[in-house]
Amino acid sequence: MHADTLIDLRAVSGGGMQGLAAGQLVQQATGGDLEAFEELIRRLQRRVYGFAYQHLRDTEEAHDLAQEIFVKLYRNLGRFDVDRPFEPWFWKLAANTTINYRRKRVPLPAEATDEAADESSTFPRHDPALVQALSQLDPSYRLPVLLHYYADLSLEQVARSLNSSVPAIKSRLHRARAQLRNSLAEAEETRGS
Amino acid sequence: MDRVLACARVRVLMEPYVDGELEPAIAAAVRGHLAGCEECRRQHDQAMSLPFRLKALASPPPRETLVAGVMRAVAPTREVAARAWTLLAPEAVLLAFILWYLSGLDGLSSIASGVFDDLQGLAGGTLPAPPQVDVLLLLALIALTAIAGYHLSILIRIAPPGLHNRRHA
Repeated sequence: MHADTLIDLRAVSGGGMQGLAAGQLVQQATGGDLEAFEELIRRLQRRVYGFAYQHLRDTEEAHDLAQEIFVKLYRNLGRFDVDRPFEPWFWKLAANTTINYRRKRVPLPAEATDEAADESSTFPRHDPALVQALSQLDPSYRLPVLLHYYADLSLEQVARSLNSSVPAIKSRLHRARAQLRNSLAEAEETRGS
Repeated sequence: MDRVLACARVRVLMEPYVDGELEPAIAAAVRGHLAGCEECRRQHDQAMSLPFRLKALASPPPRETLVAGVMRAVAPTREVAARAWTLLAPEAVLLAFILWYLSGLDGLSSIASGVFDDLQGLAGGTLPAPPQVDVLLLLALIALTAIAGYHLSILIRIAPPGLHNRRHA
């Protein structure tokens, strides 16, 4: 899957950078064009923020992580080979940033946590049982689940992003789904009793 | 007891079964079990819907400040780029001053002849006379070298990402 197909293309109409196809944007941003870079992250922000939010379940931290991913993207654009598809390369960078972010993550002060919780509580929770089950999942399982189902990466791309093999990713996804299924069944039982 | 074991086995096989990755004989056995086991059927329904539910997960929209925050984080390079252009002015002034001070070709040829005399002196075994230091010219040259060095360091920092560590296919 190439950048052209996956990056949000809602801004195709209009002049300037908004009229450019995603592939062109990536190419221009790689050449150091800041306007192209800005438009690129504008198109990616929803998915990246959503991915960060689903992983961390905290609006404040999701914002920080998304910002860190984009800054890292800017700093590493020079390493991107424009002849290759952008998405797998980008999500690999996003996954690595997420793994390192979790490693260095420190608990927020009580007030900040409350504030963040307030902010996310204003957002209507869709499928709360699944959200709860997902939050109980080990991060090493949650990451491939989010990359595959939420960020819409193929198994090959997830494997490349996480420096793993397709069979290993498949097995992790199966185990993750089995755990989610069990959590959902338990939640249902609790609700029923 | 057999049924419990069968249920446990079926639940292990549930995900590959949903993904259509089981061998036909094993898939048929799972299908047979599901037909007669209500609890496993419920788990199967759960497993079937899970990928769709995961895809449909909703997140709050990103904050409006996200893009601006990122651009601010990479913006110092913009200011530095502006500084790089302004450095051209003092460089040009110093260069013009040095050229004017050397009075064009006459000045340059006098420096060259001075150097030649010194070399001759060295070849003859005598020590060359200490050159007459033109403090103003020396200071201008030092200033130009310092500014040019600083300018170069800025240019390296603000080089477009594409110019750093480019990987050639």
